Amino acid sequence: MLPDNNSENSPAQSSEEKQSDGLVISRRTFLNASAFAAATITASYLLKKPEIALASSADEPPYGVVTDKWVATSCLNCPTRCATRVRIVYDKAVHIGGNPLSRVSEGENCPRSHIGLQVLYNPDRIKSPLKRTNPQKGKGIDPGWTALSWEQALNEVSNRLKALRDRNQAHKLLLLYGLNTISNEDLINRFAAAYGTPNAISREGLENEADKAGQWMADGNYTTSAYDLEHTNYILSFGASIIESQKPLARNLRMWGKLRRERPNRAKIVVIDPRYSVTAAKADQWLPINPGTDAALALAIAHVIISEELYDKSFIQNWTTGFAEYRKLVLGSHSPEKIALVTGIKADTIYRIAREFAQTRPAIAWRGRGATCWPNGSYASYAIFCLNALVGSIDVPGGVIYQEYPKYKEMPAITDDSIAREGRTQTSLDLRRKDKFIAAGVVTNQAADSILTDNPYPIDMAIGFHSNFNMSAPNASRWDKAMAKIPYYIHVAPAITEMAEFADIVLPASTFMEDWGYDHCPPGSGFYELKLKQPVVKSVHNIKPTGDIIFDLAKRMGGSVAQSFENIGNNAEGFVKYRTSTIMYWDNLLQKGVWAGTNYKYYKYYQLFNTPSKKFEFYSGNMEAALKEAGKWTGDRTACLPHYEDTKFLGDKTAYPLILTSYHPLLDVDDGNQNYPWAQEIFMVMHGYGWTNFVEINAKTAGSMGIKDGVMVWVESPVSKIKARARVFQGIHPQVVAIAQGQGHTSCGRWAKGIGINPNDITGVDYDYISGQSALFNTRVKIYKA
Amino acid sequence: MARWGMVIDLDKCTGCQACTVACKEENNVPYGSPRENRQRTEIYWNKVIAVSRGEYPSVNIEMIPMPCMHCDNPPCVQVCPAKATFIREDGIVVQNFRRCIGCKYCIVACPYGVRNFNYKEQAEEKYHRPDPPPDRSVIGPWPFPTRTHGVVEKCTFCFHRIDAGLKENKTIGTEVVPACVESCPAKARFFGDLDDPESIVSQQVATRGSFTLKEGKGTHPKVHYLPK
Amino acid sequence: MASDFVTIEGKSKNYRAAVIVFGILALIGLICFALSYVFGHQLFGSSNTIPWGMPIVLAIYLIGLSAGSLILSSLTYVFGKEEFRPIARMAVLLAIVLIFGAMISIAVDLGRPEKFWRLFMFFYLNNMTSMFAINGILYGGYFVISLVYMGIILANQKQASRFMGILAVCWAVLVHMGTGAIFGFVAARETWFSPIKPLEFLSAALASGLALLIVVTLLTLKLSGRSINKGMIASLANMLRMFIILLFILIVVDKLTHLYEPARDATIFMLAGEYAWIFWVLQIGLAVVLPLAILFHAKLNKTIKWITVASVSVVIGIFFERYYLVIPGSAYPLHFYPGKIEGVYGAVGTFQIMPAEMGLSLGILALLALLFLLALRYLEALPPKPMESPQPTAASPAPSASATQTTG
Repeated sequence: MLPDNNSENSPAQSSEEKQSDGLVISRRTFLNASAFAAATITASYLLKKPEIALASSADEPPYGVVTDKWVATSCLNCPTRCATRVRIVYDKAVHIGGNPLSRVSEGENCPRSHIGLQVLYNPDRIKSPLKRTNPQKGKGIDPGWTALSWEQALNEVSNRLKALRDRNQAHKLLLLYGLNTISNEDLINRFAAAYGTPNAISREGLENEADKAGQWMADGNYTTSAYDLEHTNYILSFGASIIESQKPLARNLRMWGKLRRERPNRAKIVVIDPRYSVTAAKADQWLPINPGTDAALALAIAHVIISEELYDKSFIQNWTTGFAEYRKLVLGSHSPEKIALVTGIKADTIYRIAREFAQTRPAIAWRGRGATCWPNGSYASYAIFCLNALVGSIDVPGGVIYQEYPKYKEMPAITDDSIAREGRTQTSLDLRRKDKFIAAGVVTNQAADSILTDNPYPIDMAIGFHSNFNMSAPNASRWDKAMAKIPYYIHVAPAITEMAEFADIVLPASTFMEDWGYDHCPPGSGFYELKLKQPVVKSVHNIKPTGDIIFDLAKRMGGSVAQSFENIGNNAEGFVKYRTSTIMYWDNLLQKGVWAGTNYKYYKYYQLFNTPSKKFEFYSGNMEAALKEAGKWTGDRTACLPHYEDTKFLGDKTAYPLILTSYHPLLDVDDGNQNYPWAQEIFMVMHGYGWTNFVEINAKTAGSMGIKDGVMVWVESPVSKIKARARVFQGIHPQVVAIAQGQGHTSCGRWAKGIGINPNDITGVDYDYISGQSALFNTRVKIYKA
Repeated sequence: MARWGMVIDLDKCTGCQACTVACKEENNVPYGSPRENRQRTEIYWNKVIAVSRGEYPSVNIEMIPMPCMHCDNPPCVQVCPAKATFIREDGIVVQNFRRCIGCKYCIVACPYGVRNFNYKEQAEEKYHRPDPPPDRSVIGPWPFPTRTHGVVEKCTFCFHRIDAGLKENKTIGTEVVPACVESCPAKARFFGDLDDPESIVSQQVATRGSFTLKEGKGTHPKVHYLPK
Repeated sequence: MASDFVTIEGKSKNYRAAVIVFGILALIGLICFALSYVFGHQLFGSSNTIPWGMPIVLAIYLIGLSAGSLILSSLTYVFGKEEFRPIARMAVLLAIVLIFGAMISIAVDLGRPEKFWRLFMFFYLNNMTSMFAINGILYGGYFVISLVYMGIILANQKQASRFMGILAVCWAVLVHMGTGAIFGFVAARETWFSPIKPLEFLSAALASGLALLIVVTLLTLKLSGRSINKGMIASLANMLRMFIILLFILIVVDKLTHLYEPARDATIFMLAGEYAWIFWVLQIGLAVVLPLAILFHAKLNKTIKWITVASVSVVIGIFFERYYLVIPGSAYPLHFYPGKIEGVYGAVGTFQIMPAEMGLSLGILALLALLFLLALRYLEALPPKPMESPQPTAASPAPSASATQTTG
């Protein structure tokens, strides 16, 4: 028998309820029971509360009446930039939900979108412009901030900018940017061009450059790939954390549900990764692979597909070139039996997944960070991407598709002057393209070394927009030194991050919840979708949108720079309005927040391939041309084929027996800050812990070293060493240790500072010299008890 | 009267924890701290646990989202001395903060560990939902806007949404669902009337070998899981 | 009829010092309570894994002591064993003080102690399927019955005291079995879930109550300069031996049953896990092995000193039995799902020793000692000093006065 009466039905009870909550009873109990000292503290506390309640209840409307509204905007806690709707009650944002009009994620969001509330109301945000008083710069050195008015701050910055430009040294300005809206990136790049500096350096070199270069070699498009998850039947993931960090995340999450149980057939997913990721846990099979050998495995799979004639003959014949050479390479030295020794995956298994992959079409070979962020990552990326072509999964339903982007209104050409023209032709600080990194779009991590060695020239001044390379770049301490060396640094961001601590001036930018912007997803959906950002609430702090700051600085600069920023909207809001005017009526856009393009059209082979042959190339003509342009062509045709070379590791194998890998957990909020308790408290879902990260060690390996779960250990690489808590784990390759990214902050605020460790502190510096991608996983480490 | 239940499809679930965060957002559930995490005094109305089996390389880790199971035979209701927790006619097990004396007997008795004690006064946050209850008569168990320390709390199946939705003649399970169901990007969660054979939850329960947690305890949970 | 019981004078230095020390400790406890009331139970060591901490340990321990001591008083008043008469009043007095302490302990463990009264709204606001609510009746009734019983004894009403004695004893048995049922009826915690728990609690109550009574008797008589009846103590010790054996049998049966599924894992954790030393050393060692070794020793069981050692050992051992039941007993993680639960949800619960909680617990014990001392000063609970003539005092109003004081 269960009691189920409830107060609504019983008047006697509810009258008694009221009494129990009143002040009367509790105070009486108190005075009876206690002595004075303690009672006074408590009673005063008790007396205080109801007063507050009374005061606030007077302001609020009667029960059942809520004044609320929904504002359509979008998220920027990761580059997916999902459309959201924010509920505003009494002028405060209280809820973030998906925008059902968004087709990229079908109106769904990942958990990070909700954390937008804590981004907006982060108590450790910067409240006004700040100026450094302590001339000494360094990690852990108090900058001695003093508040400044916007007028003073912008004046100081623009004067300095002007002076540098007047000295004809515009190229000595360095612009760094982390995760920004597309509109702000457009403004930053326009500013760089108008000012005359080739040095606008994004964080992409830490993320996806090798991934892009692989596709570029194959089909000439320097981009990450979009995959038609909705229709695919088989996913072979090479180190891609599809449901953890691969963008566009929310779409991946949505599609995961779809391809599992919302279709007549359930797609099979196989994850190849030395680490048992969340994706591996949720996949059908996990194949732990020897780190850095993904390219070899891809070639072995190709070996099986080609030797058993399982490939898509019509596609290969009609739309590819170089197949004979590729076939020769693959059949010659990549038999599964041989590659099994390299990858540690049994030959039987390679045969099986190759056959499954070729016969369960449409199938996708997905290259992720885990496979491509290596020296020679471009070739791994290329080798994996070629598997898609082998089984005809290029621009077909369920295969690789080609992302479309919104057609924003073209901006008028910038007003050039000689300074700008000269400046832009200078060698870029990151030595991209012909200088060192043959095909690189950006080589983020090189910038630090270039600054430190004054190569190709010293940097005089830098502006960082929402960047935090002092956390996210390998061997992060180099960035500390580099930032300390830059004579004048301006940081534009909502919070004081590790990088901001090196600033001479900090300009508090608005968060994405208060910003104007237009945005679109990284490749994923195929069709395009425009997302709007608009302020959901009036900001309480003395801040400005990033766009306004750039416009303002340009105006103060005067001359050609100011002219370049005329007639494109005059401020952040106007700029967004201007750029989106070709796509949608402004009022409509403000209301809907999203504009999705038409359905994706497949089989556009005639326009897809941006290669010399206008076909998919198994022998990369683009690569040959780039090598020749850089003067590095040796006549070795292997350099243009997807091939595998033994991975070069940093550190000696005997001294450093283990290999360090790092990964982004889902709740590693991607904006360089982690001061969000909702993210922190459920940070390590696979391990059941929050507010930390650890060094994950294979159970057998740990056992052989006598390391127990939860003890503190030193993780030492040739670069540096850090003290971390050991996590003895079954889900990791015996030769690999993993550390999650996102923790180890020494700044950022109360919920981030001093929590966990940053793997980038001990990761060595190496690159994929084709794409400029930082090699993130080839550092060797040793571990010993602390 | 409906008998509300939930189905969680572990095959669709991606372990992203959007449910956990959305629940905190919806219900103003306080966040914790490193110490509270270790001590396990953090409050979650919905949590995701990781359960591992096997050894390298044959490892399996399942992530199980766990809201309150809203048992048909809730042990917490049996042991609550103050009638603070009770089962509504529609099967939702509710905690009335105003009656709760904080004896923690229900936490002891709950086989699913879904009940949480308020170990400290909650910090006020600007993003807290300030909604007054839709109806004066439900002021008792209404979890917003603020809580006091010293009482036990748990998942309510977002009954405020359901009650409001019913008043507005909306369809529960499609138009109106709890926050965790709404926020699930993989659409792995379903909500509806278990007594209605046509409802989405009844259909989902019938699709595969559904199971409930700790079936042997005789608690008859209304949260069903579909295996991977 | 002149009472053959007296109060103590309370003029000695020792008495005053004791009152002051206990008073200060009680005040510290009160401050700790006030802090926990203001800042919440974050000041305590308990958590959602181990929801109950020291106050509950103390509560069930004190209930045990109280019930045990009251049952012993019945030897005189119900069964007419005159040799125990000298300590019979003290037993009842002790029982009242201890049950009062138990109720305070429960009250301070509540998250909202100001709603304590809700436990006593029998059938009206209470859910009577809850063992807590049923125990509300048992404890409340017990407290009232004990007070009346004490009053009757103080008034030397022989017939009535016999009747009240029977009632009080039966009630005390219920009280303690009810307390055991709080734990025994919880299916979620496998090591607790057992029909034998009420009996185990009863036997533990008898053993610890008797042991405490022996200690308190010896202490009080000695400190107040009275003679000690060796024979009486020896026969009490004899009885203690019996109760310990009974308790031991029940513990063995309980653990053996639990070694079978489904509680096997948890029980193995209890017997061999990280907290097992508390069980083997403090519980079995102090509450069973050591006292039995002493009490079965042909020579040692005749000496007051060794009987005292055995009794103190039982009192401490049974405290740790309670501690072990409440705290490590709920530390073993619940298995929501087959497999090994990673992280905090699968970890063995930790219980931090927190200053506020310990201060509070000590404060409660000090308060009880203080009340007992004051009661001895104002109530005729002690046998007369051999050299003194009994002092006449107004007997009957005193208990009610003391009662109002203590419940206030």
